[in-house]
Amino acid sequence: MIEFIFILPIATGLMTLALPATLGRIVLLVTALLHLQLTIMSWMGRLVPTFSDYFSASPEGLLILMVTSFIFVCISLYSFSYMQETDIENKPLFICCMLLFLGTMSMVTLSDHPIVLWIAIEATTLVSAPLIFIHRSKAALEATWKYVLICSVGIALALLGYFFITLAMDLGNIDAPMTFTSLNTVATQLDPLWLKVGFIFVIIGFGTKMGLAPMHTWLPDAHSQAPSPASALLSGALLNCAFLGIYKTHVLMCIAGLGEFSGNLLIGFGLISMMVGAIFIIGQADYKRMLAYSSIKNMGIIAFGVGIGGFALYGAFLHIIHHSLLKSSLFLSAGNILLGFGTKQVQRIGGIIRHLPRTYIAFFAGFIGISGMPPFGMFISEMIIMVGAFQEHRYISVALFLLALTLVGAGVGRIFMSMSYGETSKKLLVKEKTIRLLPSYALLLASIALCIWMPDIVHTTILNSIKIIGGITHV
Amino acid sequence: MINITESILVITLLSVLLSLGSTRLMALVQIMALQGIMVSLTPLFLRSHGSLGSGAIIFFQIMILIKGLLIPGLLYMAVKRVAIKREIEPFIGYHASILAGLAILIFSIFITNNLRLSLPEGHDMVLITAITTMAAGFFLMMARSKAITQIIGYLMLENGIYLIGTALTKHSHTLYVVEFGVLLDLLVGVMIMGIILHNIHNAFDDVDTTSPRRLKD
Repeated sequence: MIEFIFILPIATGLMTLALPATLGRIVLLVTALLHLQLTIMSWMGRLVPTFSDYFSASPEGLLILMVTSFIFVCISLYSFSYMQETDIENKPLFICCMLLFLGTMSMVTLSDHPIVLWIAIEATTLVSAPLIFIHRSKAALEATWKYVLICSVGIALALLGYFFITLAMDLGNIDAPMTFTSLNTVATQLDPLWLKVGFIFVIIGFGTKMGLAPMHTWLPDAHSQAPSPASALLSGALLNCAFLGIYKTHVLMCIAGLGEFSGNLLIGFGLISMMVGAIFIIGQADYKRMLAYSSIKNMGIIAFGVGIGGFALYGAFLHIIHHSLLKSSLFLSAGNILLGFGTKQVQRIGGIIRHLPRTYIAFFAGFIGISGMPPFGMFISEMIIMVGAFQEHRYISVALFLLALTLVGAGVGRIFMSMSYGETSKKLLVKEKTIRLLPSYALLLASIALCIWMPDIVHTTILNSIKIIGGITHV
Repeated sequence: MINITESILVITLLSVLLSLGSTRLMALVQIMALQGIMVSLTPLFLRSHGSLGSGAIIFFQIMILIKGLLIPGLLYMAVKRVAIKREIEPFIGYHASILAGLAILIFSIFITNNLRLSLPEGHDMVLITAITTMAAGFFLMMARSKAITQIIGYLMLENGIYLIGTALTKHSHTLYVVEFGVLLDLLVGVMIMGIILHNIHNAFDDVDTTSPRRLKD
């Protein structure tokens, strides 16, 4: 029964509401570990779906489930200490929403029915909203309001998109169950016009949630105002889930022979997101916002890679994994810095290397990774996407891609230098602690490890996710 | 003989126009309750075959309860708690809004006639109503500055999308479990928006979305 993967966190999440916070933290950590165990079991094929009308274990879903589960274990370890050092008014609510968030995201990765996928994605918005305004500041309230309203309206459009795809099914006189698996088998009989209209609405709707520009306006606010463990989860796991919705629809389009149309849309949105992310990173005064814009840029890269297809598609999937690992590590380091200095302003922070030396190592490594330099995986994935784009003769796109990467490198580098080495008059508020550093290190090491030695099972899973629409792994 | 389906759709359309022109928030909530009930009734009268399973009957009754009673109830409480009666300075005036509503209506008739979809008998009207409701919901969200009116705009958008779903798709692949999930999301969404609204009111002493403007680049 593969449904246990999301039933478990949802059940324990609701349970923690009744428990005291000290016990709740332990439940959080234990549930995270059990979830990882269930995920590994599903990778080994030991779990089969009971409600196969709604759920299935697709390779792309399992991949994102594994990333989510691994990141969540690290983040729950971090939250264990984080919750002691910050004054969260309602700790049980925080723990409950973290677990529900994990549960709904797992549901997204396993769902096979388009509307169930939609329900799960909308549910992730609803359960993560309390996480953002857990500190109850005015700015956090505004961020939450924007997040809930913009994402709900956006996702509502995706529902409309799925209705249009149902219409495409009716016009083709197809009597098949409405799951992605069965839709893929009858894709060529679907009405192409309505399939196109449906895809446009789906990409606008889920693109809002994924943070594709110009629908990204909620993202920097929500990521900068949420407490750091929640930001790490939003950026490292939630954006991937929204991407999954777009990807599954894109696969349907490709099989229906409309891959060029949907691919071009993805490339367009991808390039816009990259440029928007790059431009706003330069001169950014708030380091958490800087990380948020970097997420927008990376989501753009992923959309771009998927749109190009072929070899670049493989790169895009690698990019998803490495972006999640590196970005959540960076958000956790940023959380340590925020705890230490008590401000999000770049200008008021200096000398991390002296005050927080061990955080500095993680922050520096994260910076190297996010700028796309070796030994971290983003170097490889960006390289593959670039080579893939060259193969498809998209020279102008590659030029824009490189320009965006350069701008980001420059912007991030400036912010990083002034934070690490400058001077500050501030006194350190909270010292660094091993338990809050281990997760960052673990995430970074995972990214390096996946570069040097990619386990066969991961490789095959990526291959299975992309081969249906012609993705390849060699030039 | 009066056609029941068409009367329901006409009432829905009127509720859309009324909501664009109403100045008092309480009236707006009542209009939404009426619209919610009408929208939930539409598929019942559209179904030509008539025989509904027990699952379907329970689902539709729950839907009428949620759209006509629970959601408006939540909105009612939100309006009461923040103690605001009317929207004073909308971005777009009320007369202009009604005019825009009529323009949207004409536009959706134009779209529906030009789509040349092979819709079943009587579904043209549903599509017109659906597009009008959706577009008017969007319009309301953009034209008003109070947070509560934006929630109402979102609800109208959702109603319109639901109508499109009923108008366009055959009911052979309707799974009530799935539709119930969508409805539950909507309900919880409105609940959470209501809670945030309450907190915004406490923090800013106002529920105008133009007052919190701290976060920007």
